[in-house]
Amino acid sequence: MKVTVVTRSGRELIKGGLELDESATVVDLQEAIHRRTKKYYPSRQRLTLPLQPGSKERPVALNYKKSVKDYCDGNSSNLTVVFKDLGPQISYRTLFFWEYLGPLLIYPIFYFFPVYQYFGYKGERLIHPVQTYALYYWCFHYFKRIMETFFVHRFSHATSPLSNVFRNCAYYWTFGSYIAYYVNHPLYTPVSDLQMKIGFGFGLVCQVTNFYCHILLRNLRSPDGNGGYQIPHGFLFNIVTCANYTTEIYQWVGFNIATQTVAGYVFLVVAAAIMTNWALAKHRRLRKVTCFSLFLNKLFPILLHTLKEACASYTINRGSNSGFLSDSSLYQIHFLGCFSFYVSS
Amino acid sequence: MAFFSLLRRLYLTIYNWVVFFGWAQVLFFALSTLKESGHQHVYRAVERPLQLAQTAAVLEIFHGLVGLVRSPITATLPQIGSRLYVTWGILWSFPEVQTHVLVSSLVISWSITEIIRYSFFGVKELLGFAPAWLLWLRYSTFLLLYPTGITSEVGLIYIALPYIKESAKYCLRMPNKWNFSFDYFYAALLVIAFYVPGSPHMYQYMLGQRKRALSKSKRE
Repeated sequence: MKVTVVTRSGRELIKGGLELDESATVVDLQEAIHRRTKKYYPSRQRLTLPLQPGSKERPVALNYKKSVKDYCDGNSSNLTVVFKDLGPQISYRTLFFWEYLGPLLIYPIFYFFPVYQYFGYKGERLIHPVQTYALYYWCFHYFKRIMETFFVHRFSHATSPLSNVFRNCAYYWTFGSYIAYYVNHPLYTPVSDLQMKIGFGFGLVCQVTNFYCHILLRNLRSPDGNGGYQIPHGFLFNIVTCANYTTEIYQWVGFNIATQTVAGYVFLVVAAAIMTNWALAKHRRLRKVTCFSLFLNKLFPILLHTLKEACASYTINRGSNSGFLSDSSLYQIHFLGCFSFYVSS
Repeated sequence: MAFFSLLRRLYLTIYNWVVFFGWAQVLFFALSTLKESGHQHVYRAVERPLQLAQTAAVLEIFHGLVGLVRSPITATLPQIGSRLYVTWGILWSFPEVQTHVLVSSLVISWSITEIIRYSFFGVKELLGFAPAWLLWLRYSTFLLLYPTGITSEVGLIYIALPYIKESAKYCLRMPNKWNFSFDYFYAALLVIAFYVPGSPHMYQYMLGQRKRALSKSKRE
């Protein structure tokens, strides 16, 4: 079959088009394009079906798993695809590694080295126990994140634009420094011992549950990143907290209860806002999927009814960013009170 | 329904012309003081109308939020932020800089820009359209006035730095229960730093707006 590749302005990207097998998949198409245009490797390509001029709809993006034939009209053996260059791409694994490395290395600098004399604080620095525990907690958190990036998360082909490295690193590294400065400050005022214990204790519990969530999410995908979900039976329905965003937010709450800095709370608010945004976007995308699959399972109409009544807010796992989105129909509802429901279909 | 749209038009017409008048006063007092006394006295002469007209712009954030006007608040917020910062956070807070010549260039740049802008909106709301020459002015004077205005803003913040540091005004020191500190001096440095990428960005944005506005009027 013949595939014509055009840019969004209508120019033919590949003169003469491409000849592909009838059985070619979109992956084959991407590789063919890459062979002809050296710099556009597959993850840089965004291929969509042409839109009618003046149409307000969103263009249909080609799914890398499907065959090209699926997108051909009727019996036609010709297809036109619109190409967009997404710019240099970086794998999520690499992106996450660099953004998490900053906080992991920068925070201890403020703890171990005499940085505060450069801010005008001469003399001895008395280190409170809470500051030491905060160091351990913080470093454990980012170490955990890096380990999960390499050993737990299953990414599909998803990549991220290279510019995100700068943006994300700026975010993590700046906030990391900002918080580290205050928690390790020579004039730091600790909270009560009880408050510290509650904060760190709660935070650790949330980190463990967060890890468990990641494991559960990982097990829903096969090693090459493909998914397909079964409805969890009986014992897999967790009625206790098990939403990876929720637990992530709450573990920062724990850290802040223990360390009590404005900087830490500012970070918490910003991070929670970002994750909530992801959750809402994911929810919108999932609505179609879950509504459809709900019909297939008798359990859901009842469960959903209960959930709807009690639901105050919800948090959904970070599907697309960690590659779970395309097949994921995980749907998690979080109550601001104490439960969250973990529902998948 | 039509009543509300009429009410909106009436309100916006009044708003724009009132603020226009405020800025016209600023320009008039600035120029006459320059002629009669000298640049050191300009601030004293324009202080009240300047503060009133500039602070009234906060209403525009509200207008954008409730949908009274179409402007995206992402563009107006940094603009209004920097204006209020300089007006209250620098000029009003640190009298030592009030006699500097940059105050004159600042208020003249600001007032000319605002006079054109508010009359543009005022006419548009009142008559439903704006004359081509006013449109041209609105989208062309920034080419000169943005650089002069920004230079004056950054210049004045820079001049104020030693006074900011010495007075320790608006500073919060540690230790305190919330382990928080705020140093107005370092914040001022940060503001200056933001101008470095921020100014070209705003300028580019206005260039884009100019292209759109002037080509659109050509086609009509």
